[in-house]
Formats: sequence, structure tokens, C-alpha cells
Amino acid sequence: MSVRLATKAIEEFGHHKRTLLAPILRLATLLALCLILTLLSENFLTWNNIINVLRQSTMLVVIGLGLTAVVLTAGIDLSVGGVLALVGCLTAQLLRSGVPIPLAMLIGIGVGAILGYFNGILVGIIGLPPFVATYGTKWIAEGLALILMQGQIIFGLPKAFRWIGAGYIWIIPAPIIITAVLALIFHILLSKTTIGYDIYALGTNREAAFYSGINVRAVSLLVYTLSGITAAIAGLLMTARLDAAEVGMGEPFLMQGMASVVMGGTSLMGGVGSIGGTIIGALILTLVVNGLNLLGISSLVHNIVTGGVILLAVFGDSVLRKYSE
Amino acid sequence: MLDGEPIIQVKGIVKDFPGVRALDNVSLDIRPGEVHVLMGENGAGKSTLAKILMGVITPDAGEIIYKGKSIQIRTPLEAQSYGIGGVHQEFMLVPWLNVAQNIFINREPKRWKGLPFIDHRRMHEESAKALAKFGISVDTRQPVKYLGTAVQQMIEICKVLTTGPKVLILDEPTAVLTEREVEKLFQYIKVLQSQGVAIIYISHRLAEIRRIGDRVTVLRDGKYVGTVPVREVTDDTLVQMMVGRNITQMYPRHRRASGPELLRVKGLCVKDGPQEVDLVVHEGEIVGLVGLVGAGRTELARAIFGIDRPVKGEITVKGKPVWPKSPQQMIRYGLGLLPEDRKRYGLALNMPVTKNVIMASLRRHFRFMIDSQKIEKLSNNYINELRIATPSAYRLVRYLSGGNQQKVVLAKWLDTESKLFIFDEPTRGIDVGAKVEVHALMDKLVQEGAGILMISSELPEVLGMSDRIYVMFRGRIIGHFRYDEADQEKIGALMLGIGVKEADAS
Repeated sequence: MSVRLATKAIEEFGHHKRTLLAPILRLATLLALCLILTLLSENFLTWNNIINVLRQSTMLVVIGLGLTAVVLTAGIDLSVGGVLALVGCLTAQLLRSGVPIPLAMLIGIGVGAILGYFNGILVGIIGLPPFVATYGTKWIAEGLALILMQGQIIFGLPKAFRWIGAGYIWIIPAPIIITAVLALIFHILLSKTTIGYDIYALGTNREAAFYSGINVRAVSLLVYTLSGITAAIAGLLMTARLDAAEVGMGEPFLMQGMASVVMGGTSLMGGVGSIGGTIIGALILTLVVNGLNLLGISSLVHNIVTGGVILLAVFGDSVLRKYSE
Repeated sequence: MLDGEPIIQVKGIVKDFPGVRALDNVSLDIRPGEVHVLMGENGAGKSTLAKILMGVITPDAGEIIYKGKSIQIRTPLEAQSYGIGGVHQEFMLVPWLNVAQNIFINREPKRWKGLPFIDHRRMHEESAKALAKFGISVDTRQPVKYLGTAVQQMIEICKVLTTGPKVLILDEPTAVLTEREVEKLFQYIKVLQSQGVAIIYISHRLAEIRRIGDRVTVLRDGKYVGTVPVREVTDDTLVQMMVGRNITQMYPRHRRASGPELLRVKGLCVKDGPQEVDLVVHEGEIVGLVGLVGAGRTELARAIFGIDRPVKGEITVKGKPVWPKSPQQMIRYGLGLLPEDRKRYGLALNMPVTKNVIMASLRRHFRFMIDSQKIEKLSNNYINELRIATPSAYRLVRYLSGGNQQKVVLAKWLDTESKLFIFDEPTRGIDVGAKVEVHALMDKLVQEGAGILMISSELPEVLGMSDRIYVMFRGRIIGHFRYDEADQEKIGALMLGIGVKEADAS
């Protein structure tokens, strides 16, 4: 009996060890990166710089929240950049024509939700491959933004609106607080609720989930809608921070958002991953660019370094996954 | 035939997987021209041993001796160089390559020696010839994914045979074959035997072992139990060697008077499936549903459970009429379906036991927030109650053996507190010990007032467990028996459609 208990204890420890190893290593990578940058540049470990990095990472984190939910179901959402741009442009237009700020923001988020829901219908009900369906939506969203803007760039938005992207609560930038709250909500949703359970179950084995009575269509609709909403919120934050909106503003975020999710250990095959991972992924990505800037390295090589870091992270993750089997 | 130097010997093989010792100091010798059967419950280590010999995995300790020389087999290619080849349980074909390409994968015949131009004509001719030996004629230009599992299995066997193996390993080859193909395979095994090929045959079907086996080695929990000549051992002894105890009763059934009606199906039709099916399941009853593969049994189960939409008909559950739209809805009506293919439809293999157990009953316990400690406690209850062999409730289900995986699926449905179950092949591919436990559990369920519709291809199981039996043929119910008026001959004949009027059969 005591032998059985002992083997059970060892096994359980082994289980936790194996599942904890990846997140610990990811966190260690992040801290190591901070340490290296602290040693290399005296400007790194300053309040201003830290706050700056966090603020820069908020966009990636917010987009990454909804994306994580989608990728957990073995899906992908290529429309986030397009949705971000459309919502940014639309909200800016509304604000300029005098629509009250809360209403304009609500309409913006609503449009994001509708486009996300549209993705959900294409993928979950009609059954198109997510890659193709959301790619189509991306073009539609960007096309709508083009029509809306007629080649213009909008500047000069109301101060109260700009606060969400550029303001402060006490000494902490508002976007950081907003992002933290959203991240907490998503973390709880995914890890502690029945809805989160359904998302993981769907991503692990869609058929078994369906046979077990999980409403797989509703789950697909939900995750893509969530992704549309977070992309829309990112669009609002971006517009407020830049105090401007233009058609191309979403371009860099799709691939960086996906990179954050994947570097955070979320499997493209679905069923494995977490919000915590995505946040770390976004921070690492932001830190690399920040570090290169601090060290005065030409922005021409930034992309190469970023690409290398992404490959390294994903490679490390796959090695780790093999090891833990 | 049985004497002579062993062609291959394994000595003291050890293989560890996380948390389990799959093979523990196993030794064995194989002689040319013998059919050496490896027997054991699921998880006993048979397939692991086979994979080691095929070079798919490498052992942690121990020695492999080939014709007196110690060798290492690190890859399937190395195994091939020693003339060792085999067929796994998992399919190893490339779905979108055609039949000939699969058979000659990586060793395509060349048009000119030394140049990389494939001689397609020869490749197709030789593939067709190899398949013809088993009476199979398919277009070798067809991608294998369009072929049935039985034909795919034969293609795999041909793929190995065309390499001219000295040692042939067959891991449960007949599991997906029909009778006719099994017959051809056995005939061919005899031919190979006479040519001096050593055959390692993994199976837990006693009847097969009797027909072709020379010696049988039994493994249990990764350990070597013993090797005996097939002719000198009784079935009971073999079973006892396998499970380590006496099995007194394969079908522990306490029949009782049945209660009120739980399920009634009337005139149910499914496109390209069941036609005009009527059946009833009462409380306290196990109702057997038998038929050949393709008779429409699984399709009927899927229609009742809301997976496929029926075209017409009526279904009443506990007196309430219901038109099945989705599993979600039917579960709400108190129905549970244990699917035929548990890995595909029954389990999330990459999730722990806990999350599988709770999959169909999550919202019965929690509205929104989940209490994972409660799930753990509940899972541990099922682990104890059903004797699921797992080191922890958090072990990923993929690491459990087939029998224990099936118990996890059972636990999932038990936790829905349903009273009406459809069990589709509940004991397929699981070992004798687990089989008896599943049977005992089914008996307990109906004792407590549940009703079970059991689809099974094993007639002894159907006869041993059911109260009533329906026979299905080409989508129609063509026979209905009480258990005490049924026997193997009657049901077997009906399953084949013998004695059915042509008008009924079409």
C-alpha cells in the first residue's frame, strides 16, 4: 500500500514537473533577456523604459488574447489586422463627426464582434478552413476601411478618447491597466470556466467533444467573436495612442500577434496553451525590439533578429514537448 | 520444424515509458519456420516488443541476438537489413499515395540501375501480383485512402512480404480483416512457414492461436510469464497465464424481469443506412444488436444519438417523443453513446483522465466556474470503482492501455447519470480481464435500472449478455429473439441473410 502511495506521489510530481517545465523555462527566457539587457545598457532598467516596454506590448497582448482562444480550438484568425484597422478608422471617423465617445467605442467593438461572428459562421457552421475564411474577412475589413478613409489620414481626436491609449491612472499608463484587466478576464475564462473547458476539449478532439454533447458550433462562434472583439479593442487603443487612424495601421500586428501566441507555447494543433504564455510571448517579442533600439542597432536588422528569436522559441518549445513525452 | 537454431533471440529486454515499465527483463527465442504467438492483455508489452524488433523504438537494456550474433536495431531500415519486417497495429500507409507506391515506398524498382527513374510498369505489375496471392484485385493506381481498412491491412502485409523477410512480425493482423481474407492470410502464413520464415504473431484470439500457432509466449504487465507449445496447453491455462487469476465467468449476468419502456424506435430510416427499423429497450434489459459490418448497426446508433439526421421515423425516450438533432440534445434526454472507435470519438487522448471523465457531464456539476478539486475527487472515485489502472488522475489518456481507456469512456457516461445507453462494440480490442470487468459493469447498470442497447460482433458476448437480440441485415431488422431461444447457428445464419426472402433483403 505504502509502495503504491509512493509511486503515485512520484507520478503526480512527475506530471506536474513535466507540465510546469515549459512555462518555467519561458519565464526564465524572459528574465534572462531582461538580465542581459540590464547588463548591456544602463538605460534598460529604468522606470521609463520598463513602462515603455509594457505599453508597447499591450497591443500584442490584447490581440493575442482572442487569438489564443482561436488557436486553442486548432483555428487561426488572419483577419485581426484588418479588423483592427477598420475599427480604428471607423471609430476615428465617428468621433470626428461628433458621435459621443462611449457610443463610438461601442460601435467599434460591435463591428469587431460582427466580423468575428462572421468568421465563426464561415468556420464553425459552413465548415470552411479557418485559414482561408479569415483571410477573406481580412480583405473585406481592409477594403471597408479603404472606402471609409478615401485615402485620408485622420488626426486630432478628442482628448477624453486619447486617454485610453495615452493617459495615466496614477503613474501607470491606462492601456497597461486596461490590458491587465482584459488578460485577467481571459485567463479566468479559459482556465476556470465551463466555456474554457469546452474550448480546450474542442481543440483536443473535436469529434469526441461533439459526441460528448459539447455544442461545437457555439464554441467556434464564440472564439472567433472574442478574437474580433479583442482585435477591435486593440484598434481603439492604437488609434487613441497615435491620435490618428489610417488604413495600414493593422498591418504589422497579425503576424506579431500570432508569433506571441505561438512563442507562448500555444500549439497550432489546438488544445494546448495559455494566456500567461501569450503574455510572455508578447513581452519577449517587444523586449527584443526594445533591446535592439537601446543598443543602437540599425532598425534594418530588427526583422532578421525578430525572425530568429521566433524560430528559436518555437524550436525550443518543440524540443521541450518531445522531451516531456 | 520446431527444432534448429533460433534465428533471433531477445535477452533481458527492458523498456521504460514515463511512469510505466513496458517491458521488464523479457527473453524469448524464435526459430525459423515457426509461428510464435505473443499473447497478453493490452498493455502487457506485446506491441512494445514487436516495435523494438522492427526498429521503431530502441530498448533501454537487454540484447538482441540474430543468428548467434549480438546486434542493434536502431531504425526500421536496419531491421530490414536483417530481414526483419512487420505490420504494426497503427496503419503506416501514406493515404494519398497509390497502392503500388505504398508497397514499394523507398525501394521503387528503377528503370536503369543507379539512375533515379522509377519503373512504374514493373512496380504496378509486382504490386498486383503480390495482392493477387491474397485474392485481392484492386486498381494499384488508386490512392490507398479510398480503400477499405481490410484491403489497407493486406497492402501493408504485402509491403512487408515483398521485402522477402526472414522474420515476419504481425501485430493483431486480423482485427480489421474479414473471414475470407483471414483464411487467405493463414494459408499464406503456412507457405511462408514451409519456406523457413519465422513468424511472430501477436493476438489475443484463442481460436486463431489454435489454428496457426506452434508455440505461444505469454506476457503480463511487461513481464515474461512463460512459453508453451500450443498443442500442450488448454484455453483455461492460457487465460490464466494472461490475467494471472482464474476467470470463472466471462459473462456475469443476472437477468431480471424488465421494467417500463426506455427507448422505442419506430420506422426509422436513414439515408443509405437503416430502413424501417423498429426496436424497444426496457429498463433492466441488455438488448443485443448484431449484424455484419455494414449492416447499419453503427449508423442506427448514430441516428438515434443525433449525430446523423434520420429521414423519417419516430423515437420516444421514456415515453417522450424526440427528434434527434444533436448529441447535446439526446444527452439531455438521458441517452449515452459509447462509440465504436474510442480513440476517435470517445476520448480526448491528449487530455488527462480527469478532463475526459467530466466531458459529458461538466454542466451537470458546474454552471460557469469549475472546481478542479471536485473533478479530481470524482475522477478518483471512478478510478477506484472501475479499477482504472492509471498512476494518477492527471495522466494523459493516451498513455493508458486500451482496456483502461475504454473504462475512462465508461466513467464519462456513468457520470452523466443516464439511464439509457447505446454501447457500440464495448469490448472490442480490450483484453480478457478488462472485458469481464466491462461485462460486470453492464450487468450492474441494468440491475440498477438502466437499459442498454449493445452492438457487438462477438456472438458469444451477445448471447452471454443480452436479454433480447435483434439481428440486422442490409439496414433492416430481420430477426428478434429472446436470449433463451437464440443460438449461434440461428443468429449467424440470419446475419448472413440466409433464409431471408429476396424482397426483404433488398
